[in-house]
Amino acid sequence: MLLEAQSVSRAFGSFMALSNADLSVDEGEIIGLIGPNGAGKSTFFNCLVGDLVPTSGRVVFAEIDVTNASPEAHARLGIGRTFQVPATFEEMTILENVMVGAFLRHPNRHDAREKAREIVAFVGLGGQADQPARSLGTPGRKRLEIARVLASEPRLILLDEALAGLTPVEIQTAIELVRRIHQRGVTLVIVEHIMEVILSLTQRVLVFNQGHTVASGSPSDVVNDPAVIEAYLGRRREKRRRA
Amino acid sequence: MKWSWLVVAALLLLYPFVLTGAFYERMGADLLLAAIAASAWNIVGGYAGQISVGHAVFFGAGAYAPLLLYTQWQLPPVFGVPLGMLVSILIAIIIGMPTFRLQGHYFSMATIAVAELVRIVVGNWDFVGAAIGMMGPAVPRTVLDLSFRSSIPYYYIFLAVLALILGLTHFLSRGRMGYYWRAIRAGERAARSLGVPVRRYKLYALMLSAAFTSLAGSLYALMIGFVDPESGFGILVSVEMIITAALGGVGTLLGPLLGAAILVPLKMATNSLFGGGGSGLTYILYGGIILVLARFEPGGLLELWRRVAARATRRKPVTHAA
Repeated sequence: MLLEAQSVSRAFGSFMALSNADLSVDEGEIIGLIGPNGAGKSTFFNCLVGDLVPTSGRVVFAEIDVTNASPEAHARLGIGRTFQVPATFEEMTILENVMVGAFLRHPNRHDAREKAREIVAFVGLGGQADQPARSLGTPGRKRLEIARVLASEPRLILLDEALAGLTPVEIQTAIELVRRIHQRGVTLVIVEHIMEVILSLTQRVLVFNQGHTVASGSPSDVVNDPAVIEAYLGRRREKRRRA
Repeated sequence: MKWSWLVVAALLLLYPFVLTGAFYERMGADLLLAAIAASAWNIVGGYAGQISVGHAVFFGAGAYAPLLLYTQWQLPPVFGVPLGMLVSILIAIIIGMPTFRLQGHYFSMATIAVAELVRIVVGNWDFVGAAIGMMGPAVPRTVLDLSFRSSIPYYYIFLAVLALILGLTHFLSRGRMGYYWRAIRAGERAARSLGVPVRRYKLYALMLSAAFTSLAGSLYALMIGFVDPESGFGILVSVEMIITAALGGVGTLLGPLLGAAILVPLKMATNSLFGGGGSGLTYILYGGIILVLARFEPGGLLELWRRVAARATRRKPVTHAA
């Protein structure tokens, strides 16, 4: 077991954004977190990466309790994450952005640069390594985001809608990139809206609705689950009138 | 880049031979001192992006320590230099520990509050000369008193200190420390997600900056031989450091020096043109510079130069907007 969340809840004031979410991720898996907007998957995500402290429950990574650990401690232990809206360091070059991640395991500047060069080439930005990061468009920024976290050499990466805002063609190349990251031996947790991505990438899916996990299982089972259909499309009309 | 370095170094080394006379010698020393203080501020305010508006507290500690040792115990003022740096680092820790937990303007506000508090306390504390201030040795007893009639020895001492600060800043900015500072300035949340211990690195920047600002204060006191609460801890001391760095270019190595090279002669000109009333005019000028910079070129003159130079070498229409 690489990552385990045990009945994690998070309240904002009196509003329960997330109640009793469980998740266990084995080394080498790709897990999807899906659900409509406001379902609690971002809250759960933030509890797993240390951005939010759960109101109750426990998060354990590689047998270390990380429930109250800071985001930087998560990174040190080997949990990486990307941001939904890319948090690019605008004034730096692409290579320098990635070097910030590489410095985590390579304090020496030459080692960090070498590592960063390898990663930048791996994600397909090698030709633009010395361009300013602000010259990148959305697909490039998403790639850079992934490159930065890869350079910190995590065992687990949580991707927060890393593919949102891409065209269908860009999504295909991005899926390919995620597969190659997985082949490097990195375990992945993916938050995603796009069903195509979930179906083609993940082995197991956790579905959120209104702060609860309503289903889990293989992607093909989950898409046919009535609770999931209800979460996404609502109930049938006559049922809703009665409610 | 290599070229500009050589040119700047040569200009600074030769300056006292080109512009001779007490007025210009003094201007050169003042210019370097302003550059030292602004370069020290630039470490935390520029590189790490944490805007301190209370750096006068470090400058004042550095200025008071040597003159206090002399006034109270007749020790050579130079002995106060490490004392001032130590006190400044302690103050930096006291300000930084609680405020660097928070993002945004809390740090800036805390620095103003601490600096003003210290200024008021010092102004009412007889042991450190209260509102009157303190004097250094009128006549040098030994060479340890570092008291010279000409400005030229100060000029070269200041030049060596400036070279030390810029050299160290350059060295740090190329390594992990510098990358982490820039990442913190660009976005703390993203920096933390990549394992940057944000609080610790902000504190390093502040401690380093405080130590060098204190050194600037000590040098000031050694040259002038007098300090009072306003010239040591006054808010305008802090503001001058910020404007000097911002005019040249915040977060760049040579920006503070460039800012000083413009502002110090300007200030001396207004002072000599309008006499005592000129100091008021200087501050009106500062206000104007802040407004113009904030509106048109927040990156400072070096940024402006870089863009103009890039346009001149490219000489073709821009095909895609930045």
